[in-house]
Amino acid sequence: MKSLSEMTHYEVLEIPSDAAPDEVERAYRMAQATWGEDGLATYSLYEEGETEAIRERVELAFRVLSDPDAKAEYDGGLVAEGTDPLDDLDIDLQFVDSGPAPSVDFVAAEIDTFDDAADETGDWNGARLRRARLRRGIDLEKIAEVTKINPSYLRFIEDDQYADLPARVYVRGFVVAYARCLGLDPERVATGYLEILSEAAPEAARRGRRTQG
Amino acid sequence: MGGGKGGVGKTFLSANLAYTLSRAGYKVVAVDTDIEGPNLHTWLGVSKPRVSLADYVSGRESRIEHLLLETPHHGLGLLAATHGDLAAAQPEAGRRLEFLRALRELPCDFVFVDCGAGAHPATIDYFLVGDEGLLVLHPEPTSIENTYTFIRAAFYRRMHAAMQKHDVRECVREAMDQRNERGIRSPLDLLEAVRHMDPEEGQRFAATMRSFRPRILVNEVATAEDVKLGFSVRSICRKFFGIEADYVGYINRDQAVRDSVLLRKPLLEVRPEADSAVYLQRIAGKLAEAAGAPR
Ligand SMILES: Nc1ncnc2c1ncn2[C@@H]1O[C@H](COP(=O)(O)OP(=O)(O)O)[C@@H](O)[C@H]1O
Ligand SMILES: [Mg+2]
Repeated sequence: MKSLSEMTHYEVLEIPSDAAPDEVERAYRMAQATWGEDGLATYSLYEEGETEAIRERVELAFRVLSDPDAKAEYDGGLVAEGTDPLDDLDIDLQFVDSGPAPSVDFVAAEIDTFDDAADETGDWNGARLRRARLRRGIDLEKIAEVTKINPSYLRFIEDDQYADLPARVYVRGFVVAYARCLGLDPERVATGYLEILSEAAPEAARRGRRTQG
Repeated sequence: MGGGKGGVGKTFLSANLAYTLSRAGYKVVAVDTDIEGPNLHTWLGVSKPRVSLADYVSGRESRIEHLLLETPHHGLGLLAATHGDLAAAQPEAGRRLEFLRALRELPCDFVFVDCGAGAHPATIDYFLVGDEGLLVLHPEPTSIENTYTFIRAAFYRRMHAAMQKHDVRECVREAMDQRNERGIRSPLDLLEAVRHMDPEEGQRFAATMRSFRPRILVNEVATAEDVKLGFSVRSICRKFFGIEADYVGYINRDQAVRDSVLLRKPLLEVRPEADSAVYLQRIAGKLAEAAGAPR
């Protein structure tokens, strides 16, 4: 419950003070999306110039925290000041008598915080791939860009449109690349996907074998 | 289940989360408080409810347990609303309070309270009665706008009720007007003002603020950006309102949802394999876990 001016760089980016570099980077990207000039989430809430001030704080926070030397110096300053993000909460809590107060944790604004359990089972079909992609906040276009795979093919894969897919060997390569982008086990996912494909669309599978052989 | 804007999926989610938890073995009651536009019963396969909240509002029935209806679904009861008396839709204040108390006493594991659109004080009261307040939003500016209006309204109403000293309550009331003369713009400004007026009330204010934790649901997502919207709104709740919101999940825009309502059946019964059904179960699981309800 601090105003922006009282927040540490870590609080601005909503990360713990021992966040790894990639976590800092991810939080920064998320903050850019949140406070960006044409960001949807801030709509109607802020006055002119207010989000700009936040953007500047976000930029500053990232500049400091992404530079090891600047970060070390900044951390040293925090220790000297004794500014622990949770300090002011502890003080407040001593006086609280109206029921249990939920603890406030400064968790990172990371995308993949949902419980995976519901998605751990089942086949690696296109729908499951799409769900895995969305929960990581990755657009199909991004995967196409990184993997250089035609986005139409990626869409056919997600929509389980087997008839429109090319030969199996290519599909396998596509799914491997896709899975790698999401940090999934490429072998397991591709094998799973091809199993479904063979069962669901024997012709497509046959056609694939023909092209291969 | 609130959210300020109509058509974002509050009733779809109330009905289907209630059903999903009842199927998992919990005893659940779904309550329609959208007296101006009731249709929760339709989602649950009950056409033309025999009795409803209208009977309670009119005074024909004084105990809400007597108004509970069975649904075609095991373990899932319904307190319906119907547009009984067009002249007096909402119960008057005293009766509303009784109703809210009675809701908390219903003999079951979960009560889902479906709110109507808008931020009328009655709607806000129905929202605040729950242990959890779920906010449904669409990835569109109109919904975002109404969601913030709703959060503001709910926040100030809760704070006003929590304050004990007259002058502090008065200050909270004035702060509800965005153009108030005290120059209070945000809840954080108000916290400062209250602390300054009376440190003890300030502590109470901070504690209440900390226990105000709406849970965000984004419905009808289509892109990764839509999915991330929930995280952005969470950040904004933290930085603008000074409150911790939880992002409990999202549901994709899915024809399966329309298919299910056309049949007036739960999504999980009609299209269990659909993406939306998978997402729905994920959210239901999170809610059950958060509630720690024994089965
Ligand atoms: N995830 C979804 N995908 C597709 N259509 C949806 C989805 N959620 C809701 N809808 C549609 O939107 C309509 C409005 O939903 P409803 O729950 O009645 O909104 P509210 O109660 O917020 O006014 C529903 O009739 C339904 O067909
Ligand atoms: Mg509704």
